[in-house]
Amino acid sequence: MDQTALRSIPRRRFLRAAAGAGAGMASWLALRKAPAYAQKRELTFLSWNHFVPAADDELRKQAEAFGKANNCTVRVDTMAHLQMPAKIAAEAQSQSGHDMYRTASADPFLYENLLIPMDDLVEKLGKQGGGWYPFAAESCQTKSGWKAIPWFWVSFPGTYNMAHFKKAGFEQPPKTWDELLKMGKVLKKQGNPVGIAISHCSDAHSTYWSVSWSYGAKVLEADGKTPAISSEKTAQVIEWYKELYKDAMEPEVLSWDDAGNNRFLLSGKGSWIHNPVSPYNSALANKQPIADDINHHNSPAGPAGTHSAPPNLSLGIWKFSKNQQLAKEFIAYLFQKQNFDAWIVASNAFNHPPLKNLADHPIWARNPKFAMLPKEAEYGHPRGWPAKPNEAVQRIDDNYVMADMVAKAVNGMPTKRAMDWAQEQVALAVKGQLKVG
Amino acid sequence: MAVGPRVLEATGLPGPGRLSRLREWWEQEHVFGYGLIVPALVLLATLVAFPFGMAIYFSLSDYWVGSPGGWVGLQNYRDILANETFRQTIQNSFVFTGIALSFKIVLGVWLAMLLARNLPLKRVIRGVVLLPFVIPTALSTLAWLWMFDSLYSVVNWTAIRLHLMSAPGPNWLGQSTYAMAAVIIVNVWRGLPFFAITVLAGLMAVPREYQEAAEVDGAGSWSRFWHVTLPLIKPVLAVVILFSTIFTFGDFNIVQVLTRGGPINTTHLFATLAYQVGLQGGNLGQGAAISLFIFPLLALVVFFQLRYIRKE
Repeated sequence: MDQTALRSIPRRRFLRAAAGAGAGMASWLALRKAPAYAQKRELTFLSWNHFVPAADDELRKQAEAFGKANNCTVRVDTMAHLQMPAKIAAEAQSQSGHDMYRTASADPFLYENLLIPMDDLVEKLGKQGGGWYPFAAESCQTKSGWKAIPWFWVSFPGTYNMAHFKKAGFEQPPKTWDELLKMGKVLKKQGNPVGIAISHCSDAHSTYWSVSWSYGAKVLEADGKTPAISSEKTAQVIEWYKELYKDAMEPEVLSWDDAGNNRFLLSGKGSWIHNPVSPYNSALANKQPIADDINHHNSPAGPAGTHSAPPNLSLGIWKFSKNQQLAKEFIAYLFQKQNFDAWIVASNAFNHPPLKNLADHPIWARNPKFAMLPKEAEYGHPRGWPAKPNEAVQRIDDNYVMADMVAKAVNGMPTKRAMDWAQEQVALAVKGQLKVG
Repeated sequence: MAVGPRVLEATGLPGPGRLSRLREWWEQEHVFGYGLIVPALVLLATLVAFPFGMAIYFSLSDYWVGSPGGWVGLQNYRDILANETFRQTIQNSFVFTGIALSFKIVLGVWLAMLLARNLPLKRVIRGVVLLPFVIPTALSTLAWLWMFDSLYSVVNWTAIRLHLMSAPGPNWLGQSTYAMAAVIIVNVWRGLPFFAITVLAGLMAVPREYQEAAEVDGAGSWSRFWHVTLPLIKPVLAVVILFSTIFTFGDFNIVQVLTRGGPINTTHLFATLAYQVGLQGGNLGQGAAISLFIFPLLALVVFFQLRYIRKE
């Protein structure tokens, strides 16, 4: 005991001396780093695990280069896309975490009050890049200004196996949803059904929005708060789904996650899916011979034209971030033409730029299987359209309302009842939104 | 032991420093005893009581992620009860817990009786039995996800090859009944070792003389189990059932990994729905109300079961 008491005296003296040496020295000791490093800023960025991992490698490479040029470090953390909403909610709630993050769809509306305005940067980049695609821009324009910068969008074309179509006697892929149904019936009999997810996954939303708009159906009125599901048009969409499910698909579509349809096509069983180009890219990367048979075509049309709901990803900066200016500079750096181009190449045409000038990349024109992809931008709308994106729309997707409505109907619930159920769920989502606003 | 100031005085050594006075104070029984409890209390207060209190507060207010709202009383509870998805979730939870628990009780006792025998490689077998319990649930459930996959299900493949099913076999995660069966199977698989090992501990404590006496009296193996073994392991069994009820009601990982509550919300449990509404949808108030909904009922179960155990 006495020994400890004795030992503690010099320590105390030492500490007093150290304190006298100044606070700078103390922090230097605590950090165990040379002073120059201690001053270095760190920018942190939360993104997703890209479906084409090489794109994340390229992003990290650019982050490092930016860090070197600006005497800072940029840390890019990535995580599974389905886990991001919870992580982001936790950061919003605790007011701490990363400086900036990858937002999805109407996220900027969900966290409107917690993200900083981006109007200045949006204007600068927009001018440089020939303007933003409206569907990408709208998902960032809240009542209180731009709360995020459109980063990239993902085209959602028809993806099909040419060999199966040829065997069934079809030279061309379906141009309309109705044609898909007719061809699907033949293809299913041949043992190669088509597949659209009707389950708790994000592909299920993307396709539903697309089909419903093509038939002229709506989920919300343009005012953004009146539910508009119950209609003759929606009934038509549900009937179409029912028939497709019964005669052209197999029940497995009810169990799919976002990779379900990719596996379905790559296994050689499936003949057609509605999905980004990731199955083709992964077949190429894994040198699967099926890559030769896979091709893409523009999303099918309906009586009301062609419409598509491409997943739309943006970049937001938290209000609690201490590196807001640095984050903006980093975003501007990512949008420099040579950087964005390199990133498109790394993703093998998966990432589409939201700026019109950047879309002019040879990667699409060069590969005939990609040539039609940029055209998808013409069909794109943010989810919720004709309403502007808002939190209610985000909540409808998060709660899988549309997928569940279709799932109920294909499982035997009368169309009208399924529709009424969804109408009620949409009303609840809107009610939540009005409380927040 | 500490050397008090009087001893130092008597020995003529220099007076005690502040440190030794502090030490003396610390070593008094009432200070030291409570001092040892403090870390546990702090942990409980910060990691259990505080979040629990916050959850109650959230559930009674109009709280959204990042935007606190006003007090709304029981409005969140009324809202969720009016929602069909939530009512479906209540039903799911009871079906899930009821069936899974029944299987765990029967199979758990059965497995424990097996393990209690003098089998060759007894220790190895007991260790292996614990594996499902030891592997992180999220990981082992991923393996199950592949086993139930619509295209590559090894369960269906095997059963079809053995002519137990006709191709293509059930669509495990896409059809309501099968999906519920799938999550129950994985829950039973995961929870069984806990049951078996705990009951085994209870079995080991049953004196052999009772069994032998019953045998001498001519009791068959069934009546020995029913009239001798079961009454003796009842207290242990009651505790395990209590814990398991709570864990099963609160399950999250298995459903989240396998079905995310689908198809059509037929496998949603309180925790997965709360996650979907509270964290993904941002409605923390309702999310908290969903996860707390079962609390009063569970509290009653705990109360009666603990009273029963004490009586026993």
